[in-house]
Amino acid sequence: MKVDVALFASLASFQPDGLSGRHTREFDFPDGMLISEVIASLGLPDEPRVIFVNGRHASEGAALSAGDRLAIFPPVGGG
Amino acid sequence: MRGIAMPETRGYQMRELMRVNMSDLSIKMEPLPAKWARYGGRALTSALVFTEVPAMADALGAENKFVVAPGFLGGTNTPNGGRLSIGAKSPLTGGLKESNSGGQAAHALGKLGIAAVIVEGKAADASARYMLVIEADKSAKLVRVDAWAGMGNYALAEEIKATRPADDHFATITTGPAGEMGLKAAGVAVSDPKGYPNRFAGRGGMGAVMGTKGLKAIVVSDKGLSYVEHADKEAFSAAMKVFANALTTHPVSGQGLPTYGTNVLANIINEAGGYPTRNFSDGRFEGVENISGEKMREVTLERGGNVKHGCHTGCVIQCSRYWVDKDGAYVTKGMEYENVWSIGADCGIDDLDAIGLIDRECSDLGLDTIEMGATLAVYMDAGKIAFGDGAAALAAIKEIWAGTELGKTLGQGAEVTGNAFGVAHIPVVKHQALPAYDPRPIQGIGVTYATSTQGADHTAGYAITANVLAVGGSVDPLSPEGQAGLSQGLQIATGMLDAMGFCIFVAFPVLDIPEAFGAIVDMVSAHTGDTWDANALLAVGKETLTYERLFNQHAGFTPADDRLPAFFKTVPLPPHNVVFTVSDADLDSVFDFVPETAAGLGIS
Ligand code: SF4
Repeated sequence: MKVDVALFASLASFQPDGLSGRHTREFDFPDGMLISEVIASLGLPDEPRVIFVNGRHASEGAALSAGDRLAIFPPVGGG
Repeated sequence: MRGIAMPETRGYQMRELMRVNMSDLSIKMEPLPAKWARYGGRALTSALVFTEVPAMADALGAENKFVVAPGFLGGTNTPNGGRLSIGAKSPLTGGLKESNSGGQAAHALGKLGIAAVIVEGKAADASARYMLVIEADKSAKLVRVDAWAGMGNYALAEEIKATRPADDHFATITTGPAGEMGLKAAGVAVSDPKGYPNRFAGRGGMGAVMGTKGLKAIVVSDKGLSYVEHADKEAFSAAMKVFANALTTHPVSGQGLPTYGTNVLANIINEAGGYPTRNFSDGRFEGVENISGEKMREVTLERGGNVKHGCHTGCVIQCSRYWVDKDGAYVTKGMEYENVWSIGADCGIDDLDAIGLIDRECSDLGLDTIEMGATLAVYMDAGKIAFGDGAAALAAIKEIWAGTELGKTLGQGAEVTGNAFGVAHIPVVKHQALPAYDPRPIQGIGVTYATSTQGADHTAGYAITANVLAVGGSVDPLSPEGQAGLSQGLQIATGMLDAMGFCIFVAFPVLDIPEAFGAIVDMVSAHTGDTWDANALLAVGKETLTYERLFNQHAGFTPADDRLPAFFKTVPLPPHNVVFTVSDADLDSVFDFVPETAAGLGIS
């Protein structure tokens, strides 16, 4: 299944192609892939993170569906 | 002339008020009333305005007062403890305003032992301009500077510098032409560590209050003055270590903010679908990548610009930066999340250089960039210029220099502009433009916008923390549940932080690391030699809000003023296609502590 994965701030460099400037890449994952499995496959550091699927907060144990957009941020703030 | 203050006389008990009368040009020192011994910053500006300014006063008249106060810990070595409060009756909201700024002035005033400068009256001659000069020995004078009338903040900074000895160390507080014209979007500029007039008490028209009094500038010298001493130096140092450690180890304040600045928020708020785009008609901006904090950092580094410094001495988080042009020359401060949003996404502009130029123009004119971006967006919504047209937006802002009819309309802010051009959706509460988070998919911030004494203001109770950022717990942003309680707790805590003089970004670690809050209690206790506890600190927050709330009631505010504009409840926002659903009863519960606090203060 096709899923968009976006990585931001300090996580952006963990995209497999290592290119900066753009945050989102399309991936082809097996059906029912868990967010935790995506995190492991990308080798994201074992640090706190904030996860969205289709603009809503999601937990690492959730499974993805075809066409989803997964976005992962390190903890950020400002204002 | 007073003698040079000695360190032991500069403890917190010795703080004084400086009263400057623009009508008779007198300057007097007064002791700080004992009942306000635990106040600084916003607590003091709000208590003073509540006590001394009639609620029905003309905000641009002689009865209003322009009050400048360093936080309670201003002038000490407290990490991130050098923020400045500027208070007055607001010409924009009509209520009691505290506008908060970084920059060097708070520490300078604090070191001098000045708890607040109260500027009252109004220059008899409307063409007169004055500069208030406060020397490091606490002597002060009003100097006539008529030639500086109409001067922008940057040229003004150069002129002021030329009047000072080469070895001086001073901070400036200035108003640009927008303030002199009495425009409601006029802010007050405060100099940063390099002397740039780029830190702003932007919101609520404080620049107009200053300017219409005939006060063009305040200069405060702290040359040769050391930090204010603590009653218990060792205990203070121990608590300070715990506090500084929390600030530098929490991922938000220790990594995200220093690396990317506040604009690190652009992508995450956009992702959450709450990034107001083209006058609050969409929750996502297709151009966000081009104006994100990540992009700003990349471009600034390519151009050789600075990407990390404090807005004032003593900041350990350091979210400030400078925006430079293609040749590496300074343009303006590194734009904050709010400015990039207001001039950028809200106007459909996805070009950081265009945003930087408009930010610079607003800063030079002395205008609140949040209000002005929202105003441009409303003007674009009226079809007067196209969304996304940065050159036309800059040209519109430039009209304000000459005070043309269009310029003066824009300078009054989003509501006046929206009404003048017949715009249906005007995003304001208590006449002040909403900042950079749409309250439909992020309902907690909607509670703060609706109920804050300040008008729509994100900083008053930054519910983005638990709603979006997973800081300080987690509350579903799309649900009305729990939002009123969240906003209330944050508004009280913010009142306290603003009173103490802390940068509100200390809240990120404080909300997550219990020892960090304990360290604030310990630092304040060690500084004063009195015993404080969490309740005593939060009492200052509640009292601050109580002065503001009561003043607003006396000025005619009712529960109907604690509401969002109707379109937020009726027009769904993509991509989540939701409206604001927090009940009026919940909104009306946010200030339920006020009667009891007012009774305790003996005010009504
Ligand atoms: S964190 Fe940013 S806003 Fe806060 S004091 Fe430091 S530079 Fe100023």
